[in-house]
Amino acid sequence: MSWLGRAGARLLPPGRRDWAEAVWAEAGEAPAGWPRLAWRAGGVRVIAREARMVRWIGSRVVFAAATGVAAWSAWPGSAISHAATARADIIVLVVLLAGLPLLSRWLLGPPGNRTARRLRAGCYAAILAIMPAIAVTRLFLGAVPRGGHDLHTFHVFQGLGVPGTATAGPPLKVVALLVIAACGLAVILALTARRAPVAPATLAIGAGAGPVLGAVMYAVDPLGVNKYVTAPWLRGTMTDTIPAGRAQYLVALAWIVLFGAPLAAGLLAAWRCHVPDDPGQAAAARAWQGVAAGLVSNSVGALFVTVLGTGTTALLVRSAWARDVLYHGQHLTASAVYGRELFASQNAPRYGLICLAFPVIGALMGLAGAGVASGLTSPRPDGGRPPGPPGPEPLPDQPGGRRLADAGAGQDGLPGRYDGEGGQGPPGLVGAGLGRLR
Amino acid sequence: MRSRREFSPQTLLVLAALCVQPSEWQHGYALASQTGLKSGTLYPILIRLADRGLVEACWQDEPQPGRPRRHLYRLTAGGLASATAALSAVAREPTGRPAAAAGARQPGGRGVAAPAVR
Repeated sequence: MSWLGRAGARLLPPGRRDWAEAVWAEAGEAPAGWPRLAWRAGGVRVIAREARMVRWIGSRVVFAAATGVAAWSAWPGSAISHAATARADIIVLVVLLAGLPLLSRWLLGPPGNRTARRLRAGCYAAILAIMPAIAVTRLFLGAVPRGGHDLHTFHVFQGLGVPGTATAGPPLKVVALLVIAACGLAVILALTARRAPVAPATLAIGAGAGPVLGAVMYAVDPLGVNKYVTAPWLRGTMTDTIPAGRAQYLVALAWIVLFGAPLAAGLLAAWRCHVPDDPGQAAAARAWQGVAAGLVSNSVGALFVTVLGTGTTALLVRSAWARDVLYHGQHLTASAVYGRELFASQNAPRYGLICLAFPVIGALMGLAGAGVASGLTSPRPDGGRPPGPPGPEPLPDQPGGRRLADAGAGQDGLPGRYDGEGGQGPPGLVGAGLGRLR
Repeated sequence: MRSRREFSPQTLLVLAALCVQPSEWQHGYALASQTGLKSGTLYPILIRLADRGLVEACWQDEPQPGRPRRHLYRLTAGGLASATAALSAVAREPTGRPAAAAGARQPGGRGVAAPAVR
């Protein structure tokens, strides 16, 4: 068994091999049988933990499983007329999802911190959730109704004599969507990479503002930016006309959040970031943090509303329950229902425009917020300290480039504790843990 | 206060065990027996403590015949100070029982007295 320990130790960085060998050297002290086996199992755990194998393998297994499920559920059958195009863009998207992180790692390094990893995971989950939702709408658009009111409505909207083909979509549209997805993914990967000069707090601020924007946008336009299908629960609401009742306030709030959320995120990120003493470099550093916060805020918001919007559309065409929720209390004929489903499905690709426009708005507003922050924190003529929060002391670096964490972080399922961050256990935890000694 | 937030309960167990005879080198199996921790939990704690300079480690100079060399551990001066502060903070906890909280388990299952806390 000792050869197994030595082989396992070779998986570790040189500075850690002694520890793996130490566990194995002690195995002979444990009583033969299960205790010794348990001791060696602990040694395997140490090797796996120190080699980062668990995280490495786990993240890849989860990614492969999630991508496989998403691709399988989005894979077109023979029922639609543009199956070959759909298959091609699924394959390209999967290749982008798998390949871009490798490219990013090579150019800019791995994700820099826990916030970055979570942000990446959230974006990947969003993209994987959008894939089957878009596929459902495509399938709906590509399938010709068998008859009755639906066929009549289909012909009215789609054009006579071209059943199913009108929705195939030109390859240019598919390519444009893939380019938008690739650019968005590249931006997120670059901002979250270790060598990118983006503070973890900036990512956290942006990621926190994004869902607010997404939720408000979804409340206004749950079925996309189309006047025929918007806000079914706000009767009479259309985004391109003046809405009535409370809806007008919601629409106003959406506009405010679209521009205000990245502005606030940029201001906050620029205000609290650490900057060099040189005023020029300080302004540049603040501008960069502001742009990054605004970009992350609106990118997350765009992904959020796209996931919810395309998901709602997919549910609309698949589930009578979803139709009842969306159009509760409204008496709609079968033809009207089919028409709304058709409009909503055709509207789904417009989320690509949201994913393109929102981040641009976010970057600009974040820059504006950074400008405001620079104005607020500029040195006073009398030489006094500008207003702003005192910065925390920088954390010391470990030899491996990681921050020092609690020595017992993660033991037995307890969360790791980083200096200066949350995640503290309840006060009684220490006493409870030590109480086992009694 | 800071120390109590700094170490997990398992880490405090290890520190308490190392504090019993801080000048003596101890090996992993003895520490596991004293603390009741499994090897997969104990060694990552020792690794983190060594990374922070609180524990020093070395290989046994003269191994016993027929047995592999053992890896030995003891607290550094800084480690002893940190451990003492952390354990005294735990001992002052209103809900804890100081003597038991600061002690460690002996192979026989009985708690040992905590080191003197100044």
